[in-house]
Amino acid sequence: MSSNTHMVRPGALLEAARPAGPSAEPSRRRSAAVRRLRRRALIPALIFLTPMLALYGVYYVYAFVFLGQTSRENVDLSFSGATAAGWRNFQLVLTDPLFWKSIENNLLFAAVQIVVALTLGFFLGVSLSSGVRFRRFFYIAFLLPSLVPLSLFATVFGQMIQTNGGALNQALHDVGLGALAQDWTGNPAAAYVAVFILLTYLIGLPIMYYTADLTTVNTSVLEAAQIDGASSGQMYRLILFPMLRGTHKTVILSVLLGSFRWFELIYFSTNGQPSGGTSIAGTYIYGQMFPSTGSAQIGYASAASVIVLLIAIAVSGVNILVQRRRG
Amino acid sequence: MDNEARARRWLAVAVAAAAMTVAVAACGNSGGVGGSSGAAQAAAGSGQTVTLNYWTWFPAQSTLQKSIDAFEKANPTIKINLREFTNTSYQTELPLALGGGQALDIVGVQVAAMTNSVRKDLRPVSDWAADLPSNWQSQINPSMLSQAQKISQDNKLYDIPMGSIGSAFLYSNQALLAKAGITAEPTTSGQLAADVAKIKQAEPGVTPVTFSGESWWQDEVFFTVADQIDTKLSDELYTGKIAWNSPKMVQALTAYQKLFSSGTLSTGTLSLKEADADEAFNSGKAAFLLEGSWDSSVLSSAYRKANGIAVADVGASYFPVSAPGGSPAARTYAEGGLAIPKNSRHVAQAAKFIQFMTMTQQGESTWAPDLVLVPSLTGYTVPTSVLTSTAAQSGYATIQRTIDAGGSGRGEYPTNFTSDVLDNSLLQVARGQISPQAEAAKLQAAWASGRYPLQ
Repeated sequence: MSSNTHMVRPGALLEAARPAGPSAEPSRRRSAAVRRLRRRALIPALIFLTPMLALYGVYYVYAFVFLGQTSRENVDLSFSGATAAGWRNFQLVLTDPLFWKSIENNLLFAAVQIVVALTLGFFLGVSLSSGVRFRRFFYIAFLLPSLVPLSLFATVFGQMIQTNGGALNQALHDVGLGALAQDWTGNPAAAYVAVFILLTYLIGLPIMYYTADLTTVNTSVLEAAQIDGASSGQMYRLILFPMLRGTHKTVILSVLLGSFRWFELIYFSTNGQPSGGTSIAGTYIYGQMFPSTGSAQIGYASAASVIVLLIAIAVSGVNILVQRRRG
Repeated sequence: MDNEARARRWLAVAVAAAAMTVAVAACGNSGGVGGSSGAAQAAAGSGQTVTLNYWTWFPAQSTLQKSIDAFEKANPTIKINLREFTNTSYQTELPLALGGGQALDIVGVQVAAMTNSVRKDLRPVSDWAADLPSNWQSQINPSMLSQAQKISQDNKLYDIPMGSIGSAFLYSNQALLAKAGITAEPTTSGQLAADVAKIKQAEPGVTPVTFSGESWWQDEVFFTVADQIDTKLSDELYTGKIAWNSPKMVQALTAYQKLFSSGTLSTGTLSLKEADADEAFNSGKAAFLLEGSWDSSVLSSAYRKANGIAVADVGASYFPVSAPGGSPAARTYAEGGLAIPKNSRHVAQAAKFIQFMTMTQQGESTWAPDLVLVPSLTGYTVPTSVLTSTAAQSGYATIQRTIDAGGSGRGEYPTNFTSDVLDNSLLQVARGQISPQAEAAKLQAAWASGRYPLQ
């Protein structure tokens, strides 16, 4: 999580035991010793890891095989009487504009939350760590939306943004800003704004990431900057922000991958409205599994799930590559 | 560079693993569990008690318990073990349970929504008809019976429907209407628009017309309007007899859009869920409620009292005719099917319970007064003690008459076209985000794309 120089990278001790030398022979001997050490360390590691790997393995193998099989079938919820569909389900998913809209929304919402986390989350994390008054209260206030079940949080928000009688429009009317009242789930632009507001509430975890890593920052750097006359803004922007680069990476990756699991958030707030305009991958797949009319299309939903899985792997892969290249 | 290479390698492995699972699974068994011909019957000795496992979502558990108590009293050697579900979870739970071989004896079937997803695990009625009275078919409304059979893809009857439902209907708070000086139920959209204006003026804090903004409800309202133009328009669209961009369809979309653009129905209400709309009406905050006939319980004063509904008197009417030259209509379909699964080992006893619920005045009188269904039992009339006001009596008679008239089939054509394309599009039409002509063209293009076959 941190780029702190005091932290030791795993395997660094073994690498440290490999001094450079002019002679090739001693170097080979040392390399062999390192390999032996690594092999010896591998056995206890495997003993500890095996139960967990087996547990995960069962889950992954079952889930992947199940998805892979059903994605090439026409099958309903009884899972009986399935007929082969070949690649048709994949073809149908890939040519459905609503599917691509939901993927686009996934990435857009993730991008918005990353921006909010790296700006507002960073600022609040640093501010709260600097010892402001009532900081415990603020921590609780910012964290609470991330701690309560997302479905509950989203349901309450969904009630707030109802057009007639919703708390948000009512409040706008009460303070004389009635002109800003919106049909939050009817107007495409307003619906996006509503989701962005909802995502902003979920800033608690990024704040916690920053708070945790700020405790490992070398304070002498900040003291030196203060002595050199750096302003607060410069301290935030030029010193702390670059020092917390490792935390930024953690935040970006967790938000990016987490965005594919925001089903409850959207389902219970906007339910993908207007007309699928705020739908994400999760709500799209659920809509195919449990359509309001028509039969459940398990094969189609499975095909969509496989594609989303591949997209999520690709997105995280690209992210890792970009981060490493920059690193 | 090492790190980058390692990351690339891991990524390649992960992608390959995901791709392989698809490919490997593709070679796997694509068949499913075949249906069995039916479980062997348990031999019940004289006086021995048999317990029947009964799963359903309807009627409400408190009502159904009355039915079960009455049945058990009349049949002391049969006990019913009831498990009740919510509407939506039942659609998931029952197919999984039956597919998994769970031993159930009686199951409720949502006729339009579930017949084809569970029929493989049900016994056709012909298998257990010998356990019913010989004239059983003459006791059930033939139209409802025919619908329950027609919905099945193999054209076999798998369940006996308890009744029928239809939509959309207009329920009214009589006290609020009186305050606004409204003396009769509106029969045209023009009259409804005038009533809305009167309510806004007399009761500014009251919502004139409330209804669910959920996408599925929009096609219910729309098809009601469409079928006012031609009672079978909905059927004709889904069976391909008429194009989705035909002049009649454009006319229906135009009439539907006008309901919103004229302010008769408010687009602000489209953010409400069904429960919110019902709550607004039941708490006296809305003058009219646009709902299906399944909400007719509100016409019963006893039901309102038992459920804390703060409305003194409720009336009802068909949905006001919204297209010039149109006539009242509602899409209807048989509902509340009772069926016997193949795994049941007590078919004769299960048939006895189904007969009690659908073919006897005694059984009917335990659940029909809830008014959720228009009962299928021929000649059944709701007791006068249930509908205590003229408005309620007249309203229920109107609903019954409209359903009996038989419009297009409600939910008869299972295709994801409705949920994936039509429902979302109708919300855009309601909000004036697309013209009826453009919408009709869009619907026809989607229908003709072949993506949404009837299932």
